[in-house]
Amino acid sequence: MSQFLNLLVAGLTSGAIYGIFGACLAVWFRVCNVLNLAVGDFAMFGAIGTAWLVQNAGLPFIAGIVVDLAGVGLAAWLFDWVVLHQAFDRGRGARGIVGVFFYTFGLSLVLEGVARAWFGTDVWGAPSIWPGPALSVLDFHVQRAGILVIAVAIVSGLALWAYLRFTVSGRAASACGESTFGSRIVGIDNAKFRRWIFIGTAVLAALFGIVESPLSGFTYLSGPTISLIGTIAAGFASFRRPGRAVAIGLAIGVVESMLGGYVSSSYNDVLLYALLFGIIIFRPEVLGLGAEPA
Amino acid sequence: MALEVADLSVSYGKFVAVESVTLSVAAGECVAVIGPNGHGKSSMVTAVAGLVRRGGTVRLFGNALPPGRADTAVRAGLILVPERRHLYPELPVRDNIMLGSYARTRRFGARAAWEDVSYVLDMFPELTRLLDQKAGTLSGGQQQMTALARAMAARPKVLLLDEPCLGLAEAVARRVYDWLREMTETDMTILLVEENPVHALMVADRSVRIYKGLVEVAGGRGDTA
Repeated sequence: MSQFLNLLVAGLTSGAIYGIFGACLAVWFRVCNVLNLAVGDFAMFGAIGTAWLVQNAGLPFIAGIVVDLAGVGLAAWLFDWVVLHQAFDRGRGARGIVGVFFYTFGLSLVLEGVARAWFGTDVWGAPSIWPGPALSVLDFHVQRAGILVIAVAIVSGLALWAYLRFTVSGRAASACGESTFGSRIVGIDNAKFRRWIFIGTAVLAALFGIVESPLSGFTYLSGPTISLIGTIAAGFASFRRPGRAVAIGLAIGVVESMLGGYVSSSYNDVLLYALLFGIIIFRPEVLGLGAEPA
Repeated sequence: MALEVADLSVSYGKFVAVESVTLSVAAGECVAVIGPNGHGKSSMVTAVAGLVRRGGTVRLFGNALPPGRADTAVRAGLILVPERRHLYPELPVRDNIMLGSYARTRRFGARAAWEDVSYVLDMFPELTRLLDQKAGTLSGGQQQMTALARAMAARPKVLLLDEPCLGLAEAVARRVYDWLREMTETDMTILLVEENPVHALMVADRSVRIYKGLVEVAGGRGDTA
């Protein structure tokens, strides 16, 4: 029983990582039909940036978090203003597949290079927000950071779901992705939604990086792996449903953990991709991909 | 004047779609813009609505509207029902209609927006049973009703309609024109783009004809020029 509980918590923890980055990708894709392949790099800057500010610049932990998140937000705003605004609002950039992938892929490479220049190749971990030894009941052990990771993922997923489902602003954000022209007709400012949701998800990813880093540590190369994991979780949620991305991310994490614990961890990636291909081919409606848009 | 357009021009790269169009619509008047396809009618109304870049001036009840600012135009009381409707296919009809009032109600929340949905359902009762259906799964006629309802949720003073019956079955087109006739009996100001002059002059007080991007001739109700 304790093995099962330990595997369950480990699965929920890794699933929360899938889920939160999937949610960040999904909510922004829903607004502007662009994949944020730099989401993992924002998480990396959250974790390493805070660790650097605390350890090297001597800032108190909370001040380090605030300064780091402000820096990430500023970087996201700058990227939107310099690149996305020119490409999408002024019609200067290439559209189609280039727009969907290339701009944020380029940002990912830039952030990676900057991180390497500033922080080197060391492994960094921000201090724990909830320090102390693992919580134990008999043979069941859970890291405090793990509890925080799961909590942040669930709260963020629910908040994003509620925002899109119940608020006028959330509906307007969805409308931007459904029809750019159609949303402008009713006075929705597409650029504003694209910008603020990009900044918001960048800051959320950075915050999650800070919370998660005591568990795994970050290097300047951590970003692309995280972005890939997020893209898979977002894919399971049809790239448009952040709440579902978190729920599915948690489920995948648990299945992976159980498979690793009771069978072999070698099958984790095989399971993930086989499941995704199977659903896309045989049950696309599960991902919301079944209906042709009008 | 409710709507004054002066020296309006629209270009796409080197191609001039609309050139020096000047027209005005009095408050409560319905003016039809007629002419063959591809001669700038849609570009003209799209530019008036602030959705494409333009030259010239557009005034709404005497106040100049900035070019390319659809949000300002909507807040001032002008809204477009575009040719291909441009609904939000994955959102339910309820949300499509609700977002029509976005410019007015975004600060007041969903309850205020819902009041506008109730208001337009009185005009389009056939949409009541479709409120939870995704707009992308509606028939062409139902989509057109939804697009009209979305526009009316904005409670506009000036309504721009671009080919509202294009591709619709005869019975549905008649329903749209019946509704339009009802609107002309209110104080609503309407600029109607219509390829078919016979249809247009059934409801319009007068018409202007656009040919090769220029205003060519004008006519009154009963003319079919």
